[in-house]
Amino acid sequence: MRKRILAVLLGSAMAATSALSFAPAAFAEEATEAATEAAEAAGAAAELADLSDSDAFIAVFYYTYSDTYISSVRTALDAKWQEMGLEEGTGYQNYDSNSNQTTQNEQIDTAISMGATALVVNIVTSGSVDASQAIVDKASAAGIPVIFFNRAVESDEEEGKVLGSYDKCAFVGTDAPEAGHMQGKMIGDYVTEHFDEIDLNGDGQISYAMFMGQLGNVEAIYRTQYAVEDANAVLTEAGKPELVYFDESNTDCYQVDQDGNWSATAANNYMTTNLSQYNEENGNMIELVICNNDGMAEGAISALNDKGYNLGTDDCKTIPVFGVDATDSAKQLIADGKMTGTIKQDAEGMADAIAFLSGNVATGKDVMDGTDSYNISANVSNKIYIPYGVYTGEE
Amino acid sequence: MKISAVENVKMRYAEYKKLDSRDKKTFWKEGLINNALYILLFVAIIYTYMQNKRFLTTNSIINILSLSAANIPIACGIAGCIVLTGTDLSAGRVVGLTACISASLLQAVDYGNKMFPSLPVMPIPVVILLVILVGGIVGFVNGFFVAKFSLHPFIVTLATQLIVYGVLLIYIMLNGNNGQPLSGLDQSFKDFVTGSYVSFKGVPIPNYVWYAIVIIIFMWFVWNKTTFGKNMFAVGSSPEAANVSGVNVMKTTILVHTLAGCMYGITGFIESARIGSNTAATGLNYECDAIAACVIGGVSFVGGTGKISGIVLGVVLLRIIFVALNFLSINQNYQYIIKGLIILVACSIDMRKYLVRK
Repeated sequence: MRKRILAVLLGSAMAATSALSFAPAAFAEEATEAATEAAEAAGAAAELADLSDSDAFIAVFYYTYSDTYISSVRTALDAKWQEMGLEEGTGYQNYDSNSNQTTQNEQIDTAISMGATALVVNIVTSGSVDASQAIVDKASAAGIPVIFFNRAVESDEEEGKVLGSYDKCAFVGTDAPEAGHMQGKMIGDYVTEHFDEIDLNGDGQISYAMFMGQLGNVEAIYRTQYAVEDANAVLTEAGKPELVYFDESNTDCYQVDQDGNWSATAANNYMTTNLSQYNEENGNMIELVICNNDGMAEGAISALNDKGYNLGTDDCKTIPVFGVDATDSAKQLIADGKMTGTIKQDAEGMADAIAFLSGNVATGKDVMDGTDSYNISANVSNKIYIPYGVYTGEE
Repeated sequence: MKISAVENVKMRYAEYKKLDSRDKKTFWKEGLINNALYILLFVAIIYTYMQNKRFLTTNSIINILSLSAANIPIACGIAGCIVLTGTDLSAGRVVGLTACISASLLQAVDYGNKMFPSLPVMPIPVVILLVILVGGIVGFVNGFFVAKFSLHPFIVTLATQLIVYGVLLIYIMLNGNNGQPLSGLDQSFKDFVTGSYVSFKGVPIPNYVWYAIVIIIFMWFVWNKTTFGKNMFAVGSSPEAANVSGVNVMKTTILVHTLAGCMYGITGFIESARIGSNTAATGLNYECDAIAACVIGGVSFVGGTGKISGIVLGVVLLRIIFVALNFLSINQNYQYIIKGLIILVACSIDMRKYLVRK
């Protein structure tokens, strides 16, 4: 009875909120439709288990709520849980680890003591065997499964060390170097095709700027390295000269967000400073901008806009800017002709795989049961890769 | 009794001549140490210029000014809290929240991912007032708890920092935005902030530089020419003494924090258009640079001292360092060390003055 009253109350509260929100009904409908379509597309890959009658209580830990991509995964995953008949608070619970591994470990302890039946963990300390082993140990002590996602749990050298240590664990993520390789190839292809157009000062070389998200982060390191290496490989093959970093005295060949935030602000401050000495008047304009993520790309584009570049109009010069993530705003920039390309991280696909594995463990099946349709790592049997995709405009 | 600059120098020189050789030595030593920061800055500028001639081109100087201008309002706001021997940790998150609010209300109507699709582009003055109000409310809460319950501002603003972050996270998930960056700003908004009315030698000066100058004049006036400003310094020096001499300590404390909050709102408004992409991480750690700029500029944590000119100098100095290190292509790892050392040296010099007096 109490439950029903609560449901009625919640329902009326939700109705009130939606009435108050600025979105017109048509927009809301459209969004639902899109969500259903996406769900159908995902459903074709794997049928999600119905857990409404089970006693499943899934604890989900996100490394930080402030991350744009992780927010997309959270939204998609929340929808999946509800599709599986789980309600927030009774069927699943979200935690914000706020970029702090200690916080996350404490949250995991709390969740286990609350009776969580499965852990879904977006680990804070990426690529550290010690950090991930500690979590696996907690899970195995409690006898519950743990599914890691997005951020790497072990380095390439130690692949399988953690994931192989517990039979009720799995990883759903991306192959860290892949984004860098894809971005590099995309840049290489684009520059090969538009070489003379990009080469503003006509010196036969393309000078590029590189904005790195964070020092010591595996993804950032690979993206920074391979975006240029692979682009150069493509250029060399096509008989074109390799890319040249715009500032020859900077041997790092990148500028990094000093706060490790992958932030638009950092890229914007660097780019405006760079443009104050590297510009067309001096004949040394930066001709290509490569960013570790779309946020930084947006910051760089904003700096270019202030100098009259990348405005998306016909009579305006455009410096090619590349990012990673394919956030909604980056897609819009690409559509407006202000940005050139990005690499899509599939939030929906990742949420789908996580939900599928969670369904497996909740229904007593093996964690990797029926996952043949997924892209499984060649080296470790319980590691699912969600492929990246190139995005340069409407699919 | 006004003394002209020339007479002043003459008088100083006469005083100097009267000193014996040992005192003369101390005079120079003291002078060198107390002005070490300016001397270092001067050396750094000359050195950077020698290494890279483009450092002092019009383009580069305007870039330094613009980068500084963006940080002026938050530094001027937080300085008041430091004068009261406090601090404000919530500054950065308030900037983040107000930046996201500004962006969401000023997105172009035809932007595909508009947060509030049916909302027209709001008039800019309304948005400015709104973000000043939002910042002011947070500042008021800070000031109220500091004054009413004698809590240390560190604790109070730590709490409000978390609260504001939570509100920001909720805000950015609203209406199916799902934490995506808020961008696609209306051209009128971008023009208002980053556009330019005046060019210097062909290099456009972004409008927010003028806004920063207005803020500087306003804050200078408030600090030096109003009763409120004088009360602020009195409370900062000694709340007990201020209370005895009839200053309303509670009201002054609340007002200082509220004014600071309003300044964060203005910073958020400017940052929103300047960066063009606003997420939950916007504004993170902004208070660190602002506090550093204040202490470098001589606003002491001892309380009751500080000048607007010092704050401006501190902000500009930090930006010059940022730009110079980039022009010199210094490895990022060393940049942290250099920045840390400068803060340490600046604060030591500052404290030394008080230790000598005691």
